[in-house]
Amino acid sequence: MTQPAETLREADIRALIARHAGADRVPTNFQIITDTSDFFKIEYNDVVLLGNVPYWMKRCEKEGRFGLDDEPKFWVRRAIELTTSATRILKLVFFEEFQTVIAGVKMTCFRSPKKEARLLDLVAGHKNFMHGRWVLDAAGNNVRILEFIRGPRFDDVVTSYGSNHHDYFYNFFPRVLDHFIELVESVKFLHDQGEKHGDIRRDHIIWDEERQVNRWIDFDYNFQQGESLFSFDMQGLGNILIFLVGRGDVLVPDLYHNQRALFDTLWGEDLSIAYKNRVANLQKIYPYIPDSLNRILLHFSQGTNFFYENTDQMLEDLSVARADMISLTGRQP
Amino acid sequence: MSEQDFGDLARRDTERHLLLAVDESENSKRAVMYVADFFSGNPDVFVTLLSIIPEPTDDFFPTEEKRQQWLEEQKNHMDCALANYKGILLSAGLNEKQIEVRLVIRHCTSIGEAILEEQAKLRCCIVVVGRRGLTHNEEFLFGSTSNRILHHATHCAVMIVE
Repeated sequence: MTQPAETLREADIRALIARHAGADRVPTNFQIITDTSDFFKIEYNDVVLLGNVPYWMKRCEKEGRFGLDDEPKFWVRRAIELTTSATRILKLVFFEEFQTVIAGVKMTCFRSPKKEARLLDLVAGHKNFMHGRWVLDAAGNNVRILEFIRGPRFDDVVTSYGSNHHDYFYNFFPRVLDHFIELVESVKFLHDQGEKHGDIRRDHIIWDEERQVNRWIDFDYNFQQGESLFSFDMQGLGNILIFLVGRGDVLVPDLYHNQRALFDTLWGEDLSIAYKNRVANLQKIYPYIPDSLNRILLHFSQGTNFFYENTDQMLEDLSVARADMISLTGRQP
Repeated sequence: MSEQDFGDLARRDTERHLLLAVDESENSKRAVMYVADFFSGNPDVFVTLLSIIPEPTDDFFPTEEKRQQWLEEQKNHMDCALANYKGILLSAGLNEKQIEVRLVIRHCTSIGEAILEEQAKLRCCIVVVGRRGLTHNEEFLFGSTSNRILHHATHCAVMIVE
């Protein structure tokens, strides 16, 4: 997948832009770029040539994280593939390394274009992952060219369901649980190949409106594992399940201020390991949650003495919880 | 690695064959000292000193050269540590013929599972490891090698040295 010699001329590219957007939208001046090393120099309306395919660059993608909402990611750009008029996401090479603290534990994370490229090849035919291909630019940078997924984040979809938690849990959650099980099975697919997602978070699941399926995105995080390659992914899955069962995070400060009687029933062991301000033992808040489902949540609470080592263990418990949800609600998802 | 590579060691299954799995940590040193103290008077004991270096995939390094350099450094550090551990066992009274040193560099999804695979191949009757004393949260995020061995070991005894 190395970059072939540049063959497209500026006139050809102008013609392609005109075909896509109309002659009046062709910019007067733009750069044609084959080396993406300095991505800050790539401006709106520039054209990046990758494998002799021209990409008309548009805005940076944004990410809300570390408390910085809508922080632009200058290395992630929306672009038009001028040969097909398809919208693509271009992820340029950005070697970021940083310390993060999760559950009070410091760990060093870094972005790895190679890892994401390898996983893109691996999940090419899998419906629950983003798809794309990778190309080396003229300087040998591994640029990932991703299909654009149209649809909202899964967590935003879920929190819009139901008029209250009881309504949500009885009428919508059985279907949500099936979606979650499908997502865990797709993570199992990665683990079975000796790979990890590396950054399992609820904002990394997009509900693909066209295909009516949830899809994992953003696999470029990496870190040196400890004993197990999978435990970090497992904690991510647990956090998501707690969110889905609770129809959002049940926060300790909110209970303290608004539902003091419930707050007074909580012990430290009822809280999430990863986030101490969130309740993991949700049965204390919503008593109609079946024991089998709540037991899974307790594996991610501070009181647990047993952690899931792999997705198989979690899937086994989820299948029991699923059966209990059908019995409880009378709903076949 | 072929079955043939384990032939000599596997024949030792009639002996009291200990697999002492170590890294460079203090808790590993404690485990070595414990074995030296506890088993040194026994001429039937055979100890395999094992260390596993999980082989990182190429995405951890900008070039293959850097990856090889990292592996070489890890190997040198571990060779040195293993030599020290062997010295502890020898000075406690075990002889050269009772000790085998084994350094394995391999891809593994779990270090504990990799140790147990070695135990099965070598047919060791006891696995000895040190305990790192991870916090609850560290174990949650990264897993615990000693717990993994404790929960998944079959056909052998497990000694965890605190």
